[in-house]
Amino acid sequence: MSDGRAWQGNVKARLYERVRERGYDSLTAFAEARPAVPLHLLAEELGKDDVAGVQVLSGLLAEAERRKQVTRFVRDVFARLWSQSVPEGWPAVLDDANRFKVAEALGSWFAYTPETHKERVDQASDALFITPPPSGWRPLGPDDELLLTLLPDEEA
Amino acid sequence: MTSRSLVVLLVLALLSNGCAPLTPPPGRGTHLRYTHGEGAMAAWAGSTDEPTLLESEGPQRLNRLQGAREAVGPGGAEAPEWQSTLAAHLALLRAVDEVSASTRSVSRELSRLRASQQGIAGAGNGLFVRYVEYGERQLLWMDAELAAAARLATAASQVEEPGMQLALLHLAGPRLEAAMMGSLLLAVWCDFLRLTDDVLSRRFYSVERLFMDMDRFQKMLEPAMKALASLEPAQVEATADDVPALVGHLTGEFEALRETVRRGAENLQKALVLKESVEALTLVSALKFTLPALRAAAPATLGTGFMVGSGGVMMGTRMVVSAEWVEMMRRLVRAGVLSLPAVSAAVRIQAGQVMMAHGELPRGVREALGEGPEVRAMRVTGRTGAGMARRPRHHVMPEEFREWFEQRGFTGEMDIDQFCVRLEQAHHQAIHGGGNWKLGRTWPGEWNRMIMEALSKAESRTGRMLTPSEVLGTVAKRMQDYGIPMKFIPWRGR
Repeated sequence: MSDGRAWQGNVKARLYERVRERGYDSLTAFAEARPAVPLHLLAEELGKDDVAGVQVLSGLLAEAERRKQVTRFVRDVFARLWSQSVPEGWPAVLDDANRFKVAEALGSWFAYTPETHKERVDQASDALFITPPPSGWRPLGPDDELLLTLLPDEEA
Repeated sequence: MTSRSLVVLLVLALLSNGCAPLTPPPGRGTHLRYTHGEGAMAAWAGSTDEPTLLESEGPQRLNRLQGAREAVGPGGAEAPEWQSTLAAHLALLRAVDEVSASTRSVSRELSRLRASQQGIAGAGNGLFVRYVEYGERQLLWMDAELAAAARLATAASQVEEPGMQLALLHLAGPRLEAAMMGSLLLAVWCDFLRLTDDVLSRRFYSVERLFMDMDRFQKMLEPAMKALASLEPAQVEATADDVPALVGHLTGEFEALRETVRRGAENLQKALVLKESVEALTLVSALKFTLPALRAAAPATLGTGFMVGSGGVMMGTRMVVSAEWVEMMRRLVRAGVLSLPAVSAAVRIQAGQVMMAHGELPRGVREALGEGPEVRAMRVTGRTGAGMARRPRHHVMPEEFREWFEQRGFTGEMDIDQFCVRLEQAHHQAIHGGGNWKLGRTWPGEWNRMIMEALSKAESRTGRMLTPSEVLGTVAKRMQDYGIPMKFIPWRGR
């Protein structure tokens, strides 16, 4: 992707063309079929040289905004970042090195969260440390039970 | 004594004395040979011979060598990313070690010369000390670059992402390359100093003339040394190409000076003293392979039998560089850490004057050193290809937060200025909030803001300052999402 082709032409048209080619009618459907897979790998599958992970992220957000499912989108992003930084799941021992891994996932989660949800993400992150999940916890998608209690949909 | 019989005597003297390695550092017996030919000379003198290779045998040998290498795995084209990165990492540490050993031996020699009351320190009211100091100044920057390269290698080993590991090794590469080429030149300079010291201590030659001669030699050396010390990639690369010719030229000067001294000494009836001193100097640098007196000992083989054998790169029956050295360099060239021109130049210098005169190494040797289509492609896209050279550089770690990064260890060779990337205009604008790619409205996605949020949140939740390798790990992951190539170049102003 070093030649910057991902940023030329009509990004949106390219994304949806690739998604349709793979038999999905939305980015969300494409992504849901690949739960907890890191964003850059989703991008690579859609176009090794001309799709970037943050474009997929932004596309997923746009669909979520339209469907009023932004909270669910935020949970989905958590699962993708978590599997990248904490692949073994919640650490059995929260020593210094493990604490950083968790913190890295949470830090990037905050950074990838839309303005509207940053505060809730902060609170959910606090809660995770106050009441730690069982060791090995690794949400496999936005519907993970524990993740849902940390960051429930507004309607609920 | 006639001059003819003197020459014979000198050849004998050089063969017996001149071929002993210069005080090998303790405990280096098992180390690989770096340049300056430590250990290669035994084969040269014909005492403990490497098996002699016939030229016709060369290609088959080479094939077998390569076959064996591929079977072993690491460094081969099919090796997984982490494995070849590990191999490059080890090769880099070794190469740093090798060059450091060479600069240490030059450093010892310079200290000795500086204190030589009979020669450099005493003669001409210490006029010649400045030439030792010139050498010491060069040593200073080389040692600094080697230390920086070693620290970058350590940083690489602490980062988890293979892409970032390799990127850090790439940052170390130019420093090692400059120090390697510089140490070759410095060894030549050291030989000039030793000759000077000897000449001065025996009053063989006019002090004034020698002073002027040394001044001239220093001026020949200076531009190349300056270019190497600058670390500017284009300058280092151009210099690497020129260094063999420069060494060749200095060899000629060295020989001319020695000849003048010899003639002067003959007039003064000092020929016998001379035999034991000036002519028998144990040379530190590659000069020992290139001086005419030595070449005469192996007249037919030079220049013709240059090939890769099982023991290393051979020239006739003399080993130029060992197989281990070739393998080490091959890994570094394949990983894009060192450039082929620099490594070739080192081999050419080591091979002696014959090769310095002719531009390129034979193809078989170049291939053994890692040349191949991928490496050529790497150079093309890395330099001029695809308009890369024209693309502006951008800091990956935002400049506005320089202080924040400095507090977390990003200083010196890890300065955030070292971590710049070339981005195409559209890409750059896009990650700083421009373009049409943001389909979602509520997430700005601007790189600087995003990465600082990610890092500072991670830090506050870790409960202490992040380490450089933790910062780089996070930066690497997010760079991947933004499609930013993990290929750093230093900042050089706008």
